[in-house]
Amino acid sequence: MNQFFLQKGESKELEQFAHIIEFGIKKNNSFQFFAVDESINNCLRIYYVLEGKFEWTINDCDYILYPGDLVLIQPGCRFSRQSGVLDIGKLCWIFIELEKAKSPEGMMLGKWTSFPANEILTIGKIFRLCNTPVISRIKEAERILAGIRYELFYQQVGYVTRTNQLIDELLILLARKLTLHNNTHRDFPKSFLNLEQTLRQNLSHQWTVEEMAALVGLGTTTFTEKVKSYSGFTPLNYLITIRISEAIRLLKQNNLSVTDIALDVGFYSSQHFSTTFKKLTGSTPSEFRKKNISNEQD
Amino acid sequence: MNSEKKIFQMSKINYGNKDCVITIELGTNAVRVFAYNLTGNLIGSAKGAYPSFHPQADYSEQDPEQLFITMLYVLKNFLTEKVYAEKYRVVNICFSASMHSLVAIDKNGAPIGNAITWADNRAKQEANELKSNPIGKTIYEATGTPLHPMSPLVKIAWLKNKDKERFKKTYKFLSIKSYIIQQLTGEYVIDYSLASATGLFNIHKLKWDADALAYAGITAAKLPELVSVFHSAGKLRKEYQTSLGLSADTKIITGSSDGCMATLGAGVWGEEKATITIEDSGAMRVVGRKILKDEKQRFFNYVLTEDYYVSGGPTNSGGVIFEWFANQFGDFKYAYDIDNCIEELLNDASKVNAGSDGLLFLPYLLGERAPIWNANARGVYFGLNINHEKKHFVRATIEGILYEMYSIGKMLEERRNIKSLSVNGSLATIPFCSQIIADMFNKPVGISKNTSSVGLGAFLLSATDMGLYKNLDEAAKSVEFAETFKPNTQNHPVYKKHFEIFERLSTKFSEEFEAIANSQNKND
Repeated sequence: MNQFFLQKGESKELEQFAHIIEFGIKKNNSFQFFAVDESINNCLRIYYVLEGKFEWTINDCDYILYPGDLVLIQPGCRFSRQSGVLDIGKLCWIFIELEKAKSPEGMMLGKWTSFPANEILTIGKIFRLCNTPVISRIKEAERILAGIRYELFYQQVGYVTRTNQLIDELLILLARKLTLHNNTHRDFPKSFLNLEQTLRQNLSHQWTVEEMAALVGLGTTTFTEKVKSYSGFTPLNYLITIRISEAIRLLKQNNLSVTDIALDVGFYSSQHFSTTFKKLTGSTPSEFRKKNISNEQD
Repeated sequence: MNSEKKIFQMSKINYGNKDCVITIELGTNAVRVFAYNLTGNLIGSAKGAYPSFHPQADYSEQDPEQLFITMLYVLKNFLTEKVYAEKYRVVNICFSASMHSLVAIDKNGAPIGNAITWADNRAKQEANELKSNPIGKTIYEATGTPLHPMSPLVKIAWLKNKDKERFKKTYKFLSIKSYIIQQLTGEYVIDYSLASATGLFNIHKLKWDADALAYAGITAAKLPELVSVFHSAGKLRKEYQTSLGLSADTKIITGSSDGCMATLGAGVWGEEKATITIEDSGAMRVVGRKILKDEKQRFFNYVLTEDYYVSGGPTNSGGVIFEWFANQFGDFKYAYDIDNCIEELLNDASKVNAGSDGLLFLPYLLGERAPIWNANARGVYFGLNINHEKKHFVRATIEGILYEMYSIGKMLEERRNIKSLSVNGSLATIPFCSQIIADMFNKPVGISKNTSSVGLGAFLLSATDMGLYKNLDEAAKSVEFAETFKPNTQNHPVYKKHFEIFERLSTKFSEEFEAIANSQNKND
């Protein structure tokens, strides 16, 4: 693909697309990739390597990128080129604006997208939880990017819809590839352990089965079946055992209030926490704490 | 099983036919709950898994609160959905647990950090030091537990040396089972049986061993109270009576270790029987009134009750090795998952002659415990020629795992006259494997009718406590076998011939094993 550069507010090709901040293909020697600009702080930045070799530092990790590799930079991500290294090559990139986050958790897109809200939230979570910003050998992305370029430049009938569809398609592709990273069909116990660790790190989040399944890279039905046969629990019940275990640990430490513990371990209210806790242990969280402190004085 | 009538007449107390016993097995990967009626028939079972965490190489930990909550959750649901739904009344609850776990708790009873499991190898250095120290031999002879990083004795020594703050803050060092029972009843107890796997318990005097305590740098007050496997560990706390729907009369029986329970549940009792368990790892065990002595410290000797010992040898090289093979070389294109893939591989293996046409496999991918006790040992395929195909590798891998078991068996046979075997565990009970075991040992092999030997063992212990059996001998005799594999007289000589080479290979490479292990460790 030839070099080009489109920018919101400057290029008439983007007039119909308030959510595309930048889109271009450039050789690195003709362009400054890391210009600091406040406006890109609320963007998904996607870079795709077409030629050559790039050495970048993303969230303090060093990556070497080759053609076919894609980098996904999310808001808040620290990102720079490695000092003293001369990158030589050609890149394609697109910056997509996110709606100002409605909840601290969720990624939201504008009205242009055809995703229903729950799907985009799930995709956002997968992006947020994936432990690598780099997806290797993702040739399909090149086809989609070329498609977006074609639509923008030739503006045939339906091009607005088609362009937005292609962006949706790109996001789906990325989310699927990222979950595939985690998906080792051969070794479910290992995937399960990874899932457990992710859940524990984000215990206050209101997990849905869809999100958990996506993290393991399985459909919801297969995921639920596998979790059931492996662990004996449904995914949500398994999650409750982790929440209560963590709550017990915190209750024994006696430096957080019961309400704080409830929220920390992912119950939406202290009432809900109390009921679930009592059903299982026979005492309310406060009673439980009292018993464990009175032991101390024995 | 004896007839129902006979059973009820034997006990002094009147039990009804809606009375049942619950057994709880705190295993390595999951808690398993079983309910048996008083004739020993399984009413139902449930399980809940929990993970092991590996924050560093050699570390293997579990969250004690997660174990407790998982146990509680599974038990509560199982009682409601199965036991109470079918109008059963719970007479007692009997525990078993995997051996060698260690939980440090503070003076409030709260765990300090995670539980350290049997699979944790962080205390390698402490184990080696103790082995080369003359006190090591004295401690092994007194405690019956091999000096190995798995042993809680060595783990406590590690905490003393490497995690001083935790060591200092620790009010008591418990096993996972002791922790769970304490949560339920408030009592700090450990049974002789599980205690005898801690490396701290004198199996001759049935009390904590002074030398071991001194070496660990603790006093007996830092350990739970020693009790018999039949001990009733106090009353269930009120709140758990409420949440579980159990009465204050429900007896909580301390129980034993999973290894000892599996042995009892496999009907192995008396000098002429042995049991082979192969799950991820494996062990071969015998029961007797005397311990097995060994100059080279290769056996474990665990106390089951005051007058019986369970002795034998453990191996690292069990199902985990075959699973590794399946993951690397299985065909996942068509297989739905690992189990399906293993099935296909077994199918391939069955097309190869016994002895894999001269291909041998040393299964030491994880180092090895019994019989060679060499953590540096590594895997070897030996005897490869141009005619060998993939299917030969499959069969050789399985045979290698079973030769390893046979080499433990040969050691035991030097001391016991074993006439028959029973097998349990997911790998050993695959008919293809059971038959090879029968052929190698040239002895009949029985598979218990019951899905879980550990669960049944715990039931037999409870039932004996209730007076349904006179003693454990009689309880063990009630175990019935579903299937018996007879040795194939043509295959036995083939295995015998190959095993001689296997045995020589297994000890031949100790220098090379050390060199390659060192070089691998440097690359970590």
